[in-house]
Amino acid sequence: MTKFTLQNGKTIVKPFNKIWLILGIVTALVVIFSFFIKFEPRLINLSELGVIIKKMFTPKAGRTWGDYFGFINNLWEPLISTIEMSLAGTVIGSLMAVPVAILAAKNIFKSQWVYVPVRFFMNLIRTIPAMLLAVLAVYFVGIGVLSGVIAITLFTFGIMSKMLYEVIETVDMSPYEALESTGASKVQAFRYAVFPQVFPVFLSYLIYIFEINVRASAILGYVGAGGIGMIIKDNILYNYDRVGATLILMLVVILAVQFFSNYVRGKLQ
Amino acid sequence: MTNAERMLARKPKTWIMNGIFTAIVLIAVIISFQGSSINLLRLQTIGINLRIIGRQMIDINVDFFFGRGVYSFQEGVIYLTIETLAIGFLGTLVGAVLALPFSFLASKNIVGHKVAKVGEAILVAIRVFPEIILALVIVKGFGMNALTGMLTIGIHSIGMLGKLFSETIDNMDKSSLEALEAVGATTLTKIRYGILPQILADLSSITLYRLDINVRSATVLGIVGAGGLGASMILSAENSNWDILGTIMIAIIIMVLTVDMISSRLRSKLV
Repeated sequence: MTKFTLQNGKTIVKPFNKIWLILGIVTALVVIFSFFIKFEPRLINLSELGVIIKKMFTPKAGRTWGDYFGFINNLWEPLISTIEMSLAGTVIGSLMAVPVAILAAKNIFKSQWVYVPVRFFMNLIRTIPAMLLAVLAVYFVGIGVLSGVIAITLFTFGIMSKMLYEVIETVDMSPYEALESTGASKVQAFRYAVFPQVFPVFLSYLIYIFEINVRASAILGYVGAGGIGMIIKDNILYNYDRVGATLILMLVVILAVQFFSNYVRGKLQ
Repeated sequence: MTNAERMLARKPKTWIMNGIFTAIVLIAVIISFQGSSINLLRLQTIGINLRIIGRQMIDINVDFFFGRGVYSFQEGVIYLTIETLAIGFLGTLVGAVLALPFSFLASKNIVGHKVAKVGEAILVAIRVFPEIILALVIVKGFGMNALTGMLTIGIHSIGMLGKLFSETIDNMDKSSLEALEAVGATTLTKIRYGILPQILADLSSITLYRLDINVRSATVLGIVGAGGLGASMILSAENSNWDILGTIMIAIIIMVLTVDMISSRLRSKLV
C-alpha cells in the first residue's frame, strides 16, 4: 500500500487495485487447467495439417476440377433438407417457447412459485447440447430429417424461451395497466398492450435463431440427423476433396443466411 | 364517422403480407415432415422407451463418476469434466488474447474505414467455420487430445470475440484520448490511461459471456476426438449405455449451470 502525505498534512492511502487479485486468480486457473491439457510433441504433425487442407481444396488424384465442383450437384437435396430442418425446428420451437416465456416473466406472473420452477426447467433444457439432443432423437425416431427437426426444436425452445422472457420483462407495463383499468380482461390487455411491444423483437430473435440453427443443423447430420453433415461424415475418411466441396457450399449458404438475417433484422428495428 | 373510426379505417392492411409469410413457413414445415420417414410403430414405442431409458439414466454409475473400480481415474467423469472446463477456459483465454490485435484491425476508430473492412472480412472468414468442422481439420495436425479442443475453441472465439471487441472499441469515447494528447502523453500512456480503462470492463464482460458459450461447446467437441466429455457421451448414447450417459449428463448440467451462474454474477458486477 502506498501512502501519500499531502501538503496540508493529510495522508491518503492508494486503494488496493483489484486487478492484481483477478490476474492472480486467472493465473492460478491457467496453471491448474494446463495440467489437463497435455502437450505431446509426438502427436503433433503440422505438415499433415497442410496436406489435409491441400487435399480438401484440390481434386483427388484421378479427378478433375470439373468433378470437384460437379459434386456440388449431388448436394442440393441434403442442403434443402438442412434448411427445411432448421426452418421447421425454429418455427415450432419458437412457438413452443411463447407460453413458457410468459410463465417465466416476473411482470406477468408475479408469484415466484410460477416463475422460479419454470426458469429452472428452461435452464435445464438449455444445458443439453444440440448434438446430444440429435443423438437421442436418432435413437428414438431413426436416422433422418425428423431427428434433426426434433433436436433443433428443443434447442430453439431453450434459447428462445430465455431470450423472450427477458424481453417481456423489459416491456412498458403502463398501457397494460391502463387497459385493465378500462375493464379489459388480462388476456385482452396482454394482446393489445404487451404483444405489440414484444412481437417485432420476437420476429427478430426468430430470424437470429434461424441463422444459428442453419449453422448447427449443417453439422447435426454428423450423428445421423439428416442434412449436409451426413455427406461430410460419409466422406471424411477417403474423399477429402468431397468434404472440401461440401464445406465450400456450406460456407456460402451460412454467409447468405447471415446476410439475409442481418438485412431483415435491420429492417425490423 | 367519429375520429377514432376514421383512424381505424386508415390502419395499414398488413394481413395480406402476414398471410403469405405464414403460408410459406407452414408449407416448409409440412414438407420437412413429409421428407422424414415417420414410423408409426416407432412413435408408439417412444413413450415406453422414454420411461425405461429415463429410469436407467437416473441410476447413475458411481464408479464411472469418480473414475474408480473398472474405470481408471482418467476415464472418470470428474477428470473429463475438469478437462472440458480446461478446454473451455484456456480456449477462451487464447481466443481473447488473439482477438485483441484482430479487433484493433477491424475497428474504424483506430485504422480507418478501408483497413477496417479487411479486418472485418478476416473475422467473418474465421467465424463462418462451425466448430465441429474446425475440430475435424485441426485433429489431423494435433492428434486426438484436449489440445485440439483448446485450439478449436481458441480459433473459433477469435472470430466471435474480435467482432464484439471491435464494436466496443468503435463505441469508445474519444474525448479523453484528445485530452491526453493535449497534455502531451505518449502513445503508450494514451493506451494505458485513455483506452484501457474505457474498454477493459466491456471486454472482460464479453469474454466471460463467451466463456459460458465455449464451455457448452467444449462438451461436444469430443465427438470428433478433441477431448473432454464428448467422446464418452456419444459412445454411451450410441451403445445404449444409459447409466453412463445419465452420469455424464448430470455432470454437464451441474458444470454448465455453475459456469453460467458465475459468469452472469461476475458480468453484473462489471457493468
